[in-house]
Amino acid sequence: MNHGQQSGEAKHEDDAVLTEFLGSLMDYTPTIPDDLVEHYLAKSGFQCPDVRLIRLVAVATQKFVADVASDALQHCKARPAPVVKDKKQQKDKRLILTMEDLSKALREVSASSGGFDPHLSIYGVNVKHPEYFADSP
Amino acid sequence: MSLLERTHDGETKDPPSSSSYEFTHAAAKSAVAQICETVGYNHFKDPPLESLTGFAIQYILQLGKLAASFANLNGRSQCNVFDIVLALEDLSGNDNNAEGRGCSALRSVKLREIIDFVKVSDDGEEESLFLQTLPRFPVSDKGKKMMMMTVPSFVEVGESPPGKHIPLWLPAFPDPHTYKETPMWIERGLDPRGDKIEQARQRRKAERALLSLQRKLVCRISSGDGDRVWGDMDVGTVKEVIREAESEVPEDEKRDGVSVVEAFAPALEAARDVVFSEDDAEWKQKKKKKKKKKKKKPVALSKLRTEKKFLGEPLDLTLQMKGEDRSMSLREEDRDDKRRRAEFILRQCMENPVDLNQL
Repeated sequence: MNHGQQSGEAKHEDDAVLTEFLGSLMDYTPTIPDDLVEHYLAKSGFQCPDVRLIRLVAVATQKFVADVASDALQHCKARPAPVVKDKKQQKDKRLILTMEDLSKALREVSASSGGFDPHLSIYGVNVKHPEYFADSP
Repeated sequence: MSLLERTHDGETKDPPSSSSYEFTHAAAKSAVAQICETVGYNHFKDPPLESLTGFAIQYILQLGKLAASFANLNGRSQCNVFDIVLALEDLSGNDNNAEGRGCSALRSVKLREIIDFVKVSDDGEEESLFLQTLPRFPVSDKGKKMMMMTVPSFVEVGESPPGKHIPLWLPAFPDPHTYKETPMWIERGLDPRGDKIEQARQRRKAERALLSLQRKLVCRISSGDGDRVWGDMDVGTVKEVIREAESEVPEDEKRDGVSVVEAFAPALEAARDVVFSEDDAEWKQKKKKKKKKKKKKPVALSKLRTEKKFLGEPLDLTLQMKGEDRSMSLREEDRDDKRRRAEFILRQCMENPVDLNQL
């Protein structure tokens, strides 16, 4: 009984939070435009007239990209700076998105998984810059 | 479940040659670049940016596919927020539900992360909108040639489909008259009287036009030739008559009632002329008949006629009579008759005295 009541209350709370979140989504405009997201969702068979759900997908994608980019940025910053000839020149300021950083970020094992399976990467994507090309372009 | 496994599902990607792919890919690339900029990057190399864009697109596609499949599993065609949450959980690869807490929307770690992310970006006012304005795509090419080929949908036609099971976006049904015999419509009510009146009016119009044409022709003849032809004399008188009539009769009625008489006057006169030249006596006699209704004269007058041919003057007189006013003509005709009678009697007398003498 108690558990049931608690779960019921929790559900109400969840619903309230969810509705509040969906309402807040309308204020926050994601970087990815709605039309683009709608186009790709329609391609995959996702049918929904509600704009909030499309925004939810857009926000989710934005978070995904931001996560990957921030991981790559950390790798970029963590790399030792190149030899500075001029003393006045500061450390590496040019943050360039490179393939190496990206592949490292995508293969990164996140801490949240708790080392459950070290070979399981968080994104499951194996990106590696090809070392050589077999055929001439 | 990982992204990598899903990409090898055997799905066919958009071929790079199709136009929609190029446009959407370019738009997605610029959006991803903007997101990276908010993270902290200043410069990008093209290959990693391209691959990151590809990942983002695949992420959206996979999310949509999973959400649609979850909705279909529950017997729905339209997706829910819960479908999206389940798809997110599926994609993340976290085994949160392994402990068996029961599925609730907010128990999803992924969703909470997203909520936090939104709050952070909202609070930090780092909201970076997409810098370029995208047009509403796909732009339909229907305006040019396809308009004739494609059948418009129920929504476009404005009809409601027969039966609730038919969605509005399907092409509309053909009109019933194309596949079965429908009765002809009688658009206006029968109005025989009105039709008759209309017919009569049109006939009068036609007559008027014809008569005016005749009149014009006759006038032209009279004005053109200077010779004194039979027709001329009559026309002159007729003209005067017409003028008189026109002056007498008011403008309104001229068109309808009197015009027929006027218009037919030259024709009548022409006919009369023909008769006169041959059987003038007979005509006069006929006219007289109408007025006096005497029948005895025909025989005598016929004789007179044949004899009259030898007489020049009386014939001329009669011709001259024609040239004069018609209003006077009746009296003059009487006089002519009298004269003829007198002449006849004289002749008879001349013959008779011979006979008498003979007697």
